[in-house]
Amino acid sequence: MTAATRWLRHNLFRTKRDAFLTLVFGALAIWLIYKTVRFVFVTGRWTIIEVNLRILMVGRYPEVHDLRLAVTLIVLAAWGGLLAGFLRGRQFRAGRITSEDSKLTAARVLDLFERLWIPLAVIVLLLMLSGTAGPWLMVGLALVAALAGRLIGPVFGRLRLGAAVSAVIMLVFAAVPLGMYFYVVTAVGFDGWGGFMLNLFLSVCSIILCYPLGVLLALGRRSGLPLVRLVCTAYIEIIRGAPLFVLLLLANVALGFFVPDSLAPATSTRAIVVFTFFTAAYMAEIIRGGLQSIPRGQIEAAKAVGLSPIRQTGYIVLPQALRNVIPAQIGQLISLFKDTTLAGIAMSLFELLNVSGAITSQPEFRGQGLIAETLTFAALMFWVVSYTMSRESQRLEKRLGVGSR
Amino acid sequence: MTADDSDRTMPGDAPVFADATAISGDAMIEIDAVDKFFGDFQALKNINLRVGTQEVVVVIGPSGSGKSTLIRCINRLEEHDAGRIVVDGTELSNDIRNIQEIRRETGMVFQSFNLFPHLTVLDNITLAPRKVRRMPKAKAEALGMDLLEMVKIPEQASKYPGQMSGGQQQRVAIARALAMNPKVMLFDEPTSALDPEMIGEVLDTMKDLARSGMTMIVVTHEMGFAREVADRVVFMADGQIVEVGTPEHFFENPSEDRTKLFLSQIL
Repeated sequence: MTAATRWLRHNLFRTKRDAFLTLVFGALAIWLIYKTVRFVFVTGRWTIIEVNLRILMVGRYPEVHDLRLAVTLIVLAAWGGLLAGFLRGRQFRAGRITSEDSKLTAARVLDLFERLWIPLAVIVLLLMLSGTAGPWLMVGLALVAALAGRLIGPVFGRLRLGAAVSAVIMLVFAAVPLGMYFYVVTAVGFDGWGGFMLNLFLSVCSIILCYPLGVLLALGRRSGLPLVRLVCTAYIEIIRGAPLFVLLLLANVALGFFVPDSLAPATSTRAIVVFTFFTAAYMAEIIRGGLQSIPRGQIEAAKAVGLSPIRQTGYIVLPQALRNVIPAQIGQLISLFKDTTLAGIAMSLFELLNVSGAITSQPEFRGQGLIAETLTFAALMFWVVSYTMSRESQRLEKRLGVGSR
Repeated sequence: MTADDSDRTMPGDAPVFADATAISGDAMIEIDAVDKFFGDFQALKNINLRVGTQEVVVVIGPSGSGKSTLIRCINRLEEHDAGRIVVDGTELSNDIRNIQEIRRETGMVFQSFNLFPHLTVLDNITLAPRKVRRMPKAKAEALGMDLLEMVKIPEQASKYPGQMSGGQQQRVAIARALAMNPKVMLFDEPTSALDPEMIGEVLDTMKDLARSGMTMIVVTHEMGFAREVADRVVFMADGQIVEVGTPEHFFENPSEDRTKLFLSQIL
């Protein structure tokens, strides 16, 4: 009996009932895989994606302003690389990693590939579908920028930085995507753009804005000052009690009652505001859970060595609290990312899901029932980003978990 | 016990021993008529105690007698409801700056260590000197390494608390408290959470500290330590100081019935 047959016996055919279940579910799985593969490679009519790739990705963004898109992508890639490198440098400085870990070994390259092969494969697929040289050039430059950022980042990360300088750097890092948002939208007016780019911008801007707000709300809800506690609690409970969809509709419609149209912010900006306020309330409760997980002794020890209340929170309580609830936080942020599709329905923003529906009624594709193809494509896009976020968060958790209790 | 020893302990004079404020030399800590309530429960009843500079006072007593509450009041982990507490000439008030000034001068060691699990051993020690005393990093780390040498675990500097034994963690906690160069050290049952084989190493560190002239208040159940190191032993029960005396007096010839009962139960 070989190892393979022994494994089969042990895991799949140990008893008659096991054998029965294996056969039934095996057949079901094979049938599902067959159908999926057949849909993807045989029956699926993917021309609609190929033809509409541009509109799916960036909406009706005018081609004359393509340079802005390229600049944005390259800047954000460099930003991402710089951030990753900077954080690695900080960890190096904190003694969490050594120069031994920083050597470029085959194992590290393999690890990086294992982490990123799915998003990379999808990017390559999109590039192949695009059929022109522009996107290749753009993505190539973006990769170079990301790599450069990753190599330069650790240099800054290892520097000695005072609290004030660190705060400024954090703010600059946080401001970059917001700045790029305005850079991209000012060219076309706020509502002349869309596609998957819009989903990404909505979620990235909202994530950056909601996180500090969530932390402040969580701390406020535990504050010793009754008024602060009341305001924070009321905010959290009111926002959490309202459906996101309703809030988006309200932001779209009811704002006109209070503010003249000329002063009201653009729809996409309103969406960012709603997502920020909504997610902040949920983040606050998640972070409050983290705060509650910190034993009283930690705060007593921080007090006993003479740390001020702000430093007790900043150096002792928050770092541990935030780390303890990474999975729940990332879950909420992934949820925010997927909820950006609601902005398409509630506010008629031309984001990916809306585009996916709209393109099936183009003259050359109308009445052919291509919604399955376009929705599959949209689902793939969302899945890849969500999955990557989830994977990276697990890695982050492991990294920061060094020395945990 | 020899006749000479008992001569030193001023035999038989109960009122003298019950006065916990009589000390020779300067007072580092003055506790006058302190009351503390938890709801309706009175945890401290009219506590009067003075601790002299470089004196080692060991506080013993049954659980719930208020001994931990007493030392937690000194650095305002608990707020006393009446009376006054003066540490090195500064009276403890409700002003946060005043509280922090006193906390900077008093190191505290807890029963459950309370090391910061997300920081390395060295960072645990250097955090307060750097952030509160604004000491440069290099200087703080040199100080941290000196203190780790003193508690005999310099090789553990880059480890995290979770990777160490309880005895090692408690020694790091002592080093962390000493890093602020305090004038007083408060020990709140420092060996009660330790496995028996690790108690010795922590007590040795505390003995070294006492010999170096540190003013210490130690809440403990280690009678051997009290006998060997204490200048005075304070016995508390039901939120009151029942008896105060030298270890010789206290263990050989206690005057109060409550003390005798307690000693007969634990010895």
